[in-house]
Amino acid sequence: VAIDLEPAVAGDVLPEARPHGGPNAVGWLGRAVFVAAVGAICLYYIFHFEPSHSDVLASGVIVGIGALSLNVLVGYSGQISLGHQAFIGIGAFTSAYVISQSQQSFYAGLAAAAVVGIAQAVVLGLVALRVRGLYFALVTLVWGFVGENSIFRLESFTGGGAGQDAPRPGGFTTDRAYLGLCVIVLGVILLIDWRLVATKAGRAMQALRESPQVAANYGVNVRAYTLLAFAVAGFYAGVAGALFGSRRLNVVSEDFTFAQIALPYLIVAIVGGLRRRGGIVVFALLFVLGGDWLPELAKSLGVTYIEQRAGLFIQALTGVLAVLTLIFQPDGLGTVTAPIGRWLKGGPFRLGGSGASGAEGIDVRP
Amino acid sequence: MLAFSIAQPLVLGVSNGAAIGLVAIGLVLIYKSSRVFNFVAGEFVTLGAFGTYVGDQILDLPYPLAIALGLLFGLVAGLLTERLVIRPLANRPRVTILVGTAALASLLIPVEIIIGGAKFFGARPIVGGLGFKVPVADVYMSWQQLIIVCTLAGAGLFLAWFFGRTDLGLAVLATSQEPTASRLVGIRLNRITLLTWGLAGLLGAVAGVLLAPVTSQFQAGYGTTTILIAAFTAAVVGGMTSVPGAFVGGLLVGLVQAFAQINISSKTLPGANSVATLVMLLAVLLARPTGLLGKEA
Repeated sequence: VAIDLEPAVAGDVLPEARPHGGPNAVGWLGRAVFVAAVGAICLYYIFHFEPSHSDVLASGVIVGIGALSLNVLVGYSGQISLGHQAFIGIGAFTSAYVISQSQQSFYAGLAAAAVVGIAQAVVLGLVALRVRGLYFALVTLVWGFVGENSIFRLESFTGGGAGQDAPRPGGFTTDRAYLGLCVIVLGVILLIDWRLVATKAGRAMQALRESPQVAANYGVNVRAYTLLAFAVAGFYAGVAGALFGSRRLNVVSEDFTFAQIALPYLIVAIVGGLRRRGGIVVFALLFVLGGDWLPELAKSLGVTYIEQRAGLFIQALTGVLAVLTLIFQPDGLGTVTAPIGRWLKGGPFRLGGSGASGAEGIDVRP
Repeated sequence: MLAFSIAQPLVLGVSNGAAIGLVAIGLVLIYKSSRVFNFVAGEFVTLGAFGTYVGDQILDLPYPLAIALGLLFGLVAGLLTERLVIRPLANRPRVTILVGTAALASLLIPVEIIIGGAKFFGARPIVGGLGFKVPVADVYMSWQQLIIVCTLAGAGLFLAWFFGRTDLGLAVLATSQEPTASRLVGIRLNRITLLTWGLAGLLGAVAGVLLAPVTSQFQAGYGTTTILIAAFTAAVVGGMTSVPGAFVGGLLVGLVQAFAQINISSKTLPGANSVATLVMLLAVLLARPTGLLGKEA
C-alpha cells in the first residue's frame, strides 16, 4: 500500500523537515573535518605559543562559567543579578579558606565553594520570592556591594590586604594542566546546563520567565523552581570562584568589584546570547583573548597608546557591543553559534535563531 | 570607640544625604517618565565632577566656568543616553533597558580612565577653609557641605515650581501618568522623555560637582561605586515615584550611612554603611514596598 507522503495542505511542511532524513556520508565528513580543524586550532594555540596563553584561556573558561551562571538567572528563569562579584568572590574566598586555613585539598575547597555558593544564592532567591522585578535587581546590586565592601574585607575570612592563598591541586599546577582542569569543569557544567534546560525543570523555568502567575496556574511550583534557578546559578558561580582563585594562586578582595566582575560577566552573557550556552562560552573566550591580543596587535602596529590601555579599550568595546546587541541582535553571538551547533548535529545550515529571541525574554514582571 | 558620636555623623549625614537626594530625584524623574531604573546615574555624577576637573585643572578655566563645564558634561550625557540607548530600546522589557543602561555605565568607566588616566583626580571646594562651627555641638561643617544642603533645598523649590506652576512640568507629569492620552492632546512624548533625561543628567552632575570636593578627590567610576546604591535606596525608600520622597529618602539614607560608618569600627564590621544600606533597603521592600511617600510599588 502506497503511503501518501504529500502534506494535507500545500506548504504545510515544517522548515526543518528534510526528505532524505539527514546529511549523507560527505556531509558528516565535512562536519567531522570542521570539528577537527577547530580542535586543531585550539591545540595549536595552546601548545605553540608561550605557556601564558593557556593561562589566558583558563581565565576565559572561568569567565564563561561565571556568565553561564548569570544565564541561568537572566536567560532561563527571568531573574537578574547585578551582584555577581559577591557570587564569584564568595566562592573564591571559601575555596581559598578551606585550602589554606583548614588545610584541606583543592577538591574539598571546590566542593565547599559550590555549597556556600548555593547557600548564598538560595538566600537571595528567598528574597526574590517577595521582591520582584527592578526592585529585586536593586537588592542584588546592594548585595554585591555588601560582598565587595564588607564580607571580602573581614580579615579572619579573607586574610585582609594580603589575601588568602589558593594553591592549585597536584597534577594541575602548570598553566596548561590547569587549563585542562578548567575545561573539564566547564564540560561538566555544560552537561548540567543542557540537562537542566532539556528536562522538566527547563520547561518550568521557561514558564516562570514568561509569567509566574500563568505558570502557577498550570501547576508549576513557582517557589521551588525559582529557588532551583538560584541554587544552580550559585553552584556555577561558586565553582567559577574556586577556579578563579586557584588560577591566581592568591585571592584578594580587589579582584571582586562591580566593574570587574558583575558588569563584564553580565555583558558576556548578553553579547554571547542569552539561552545560547555555546555563544556565551565562545564570547567569554573571545572577550578574554581580545584583552590578550589587542596589546600585541597594538605593539606590532606601533600604537603604544592603545597597547598600554588595551584592557580598558576591550571593556569599552564590549560595552558598545552590549548596547548594540540589545538594540539590533537580541540573540547575540548565538546568532552565529546556534546555526553551527544545529549544523553539527546533522541539520541544514541556516542562519538565524531557532525561535524566541534572546534578550527579549529578560522581562521580570512586577 | 567608647562614646556613640551623634553630632559628627549628623553633619556628615545631612550633607551626604543632600547629595544622595539630588541623584535620587534624578532617578525618580526617570522612573516616572520612562519606567526605567537608570544605572548610568552614577556616571552622570562622575562626569559632573570630571568636567569640573577638566575645566579647572586641564583647561585652566575660572572656577565658575569649570563648574558650568561639569554641568554641561552631565546634561549632554543625559541627553545622549536617552537618544542612543533609551529611545531605540523603548517598548522593550524593562529589564532589557536596565541592562542597557548598565552596559552604558560599563562603557563610560573605561572611557573616563582612557581620557583621564587611572588615578585620583583632585577636586577643590567652591569656598575653602575649615568651615564653621555648628551651634551647640562641637563639630565643624565645611562651607561646601552647607552649599550642598542649600542646593538640595534650591533644587526642591525649583522642581516644586516646575511641576506645580509650569505647563512643561504639567506635561511631564501627564506623560508619566497617561502616555497615550498625553500624545492625543499634542504633547510630544519623545521631547518630554529627552527633557527628563537631560534634567536627570544635570541633577547628577550637580551632585558630582558639589560632592567630589568634600572627599577632595575622585576616580573613574566614582559615582557608581559611592553614590548610586545610596541614591537607589533613597528613591525606593521614598516610594520611587515621589520627588519629596526622594528628598526624605536621601537624607535618611545619608544619616543611616553616616551613623553606621562613624560608630561601627571597620575592625568589627568593614563596610558598615553598605550593610546598613542593604538592611534598610530590605526592610523597606519587605515591610512597606510602596515606600514612605509612594502611591504605588
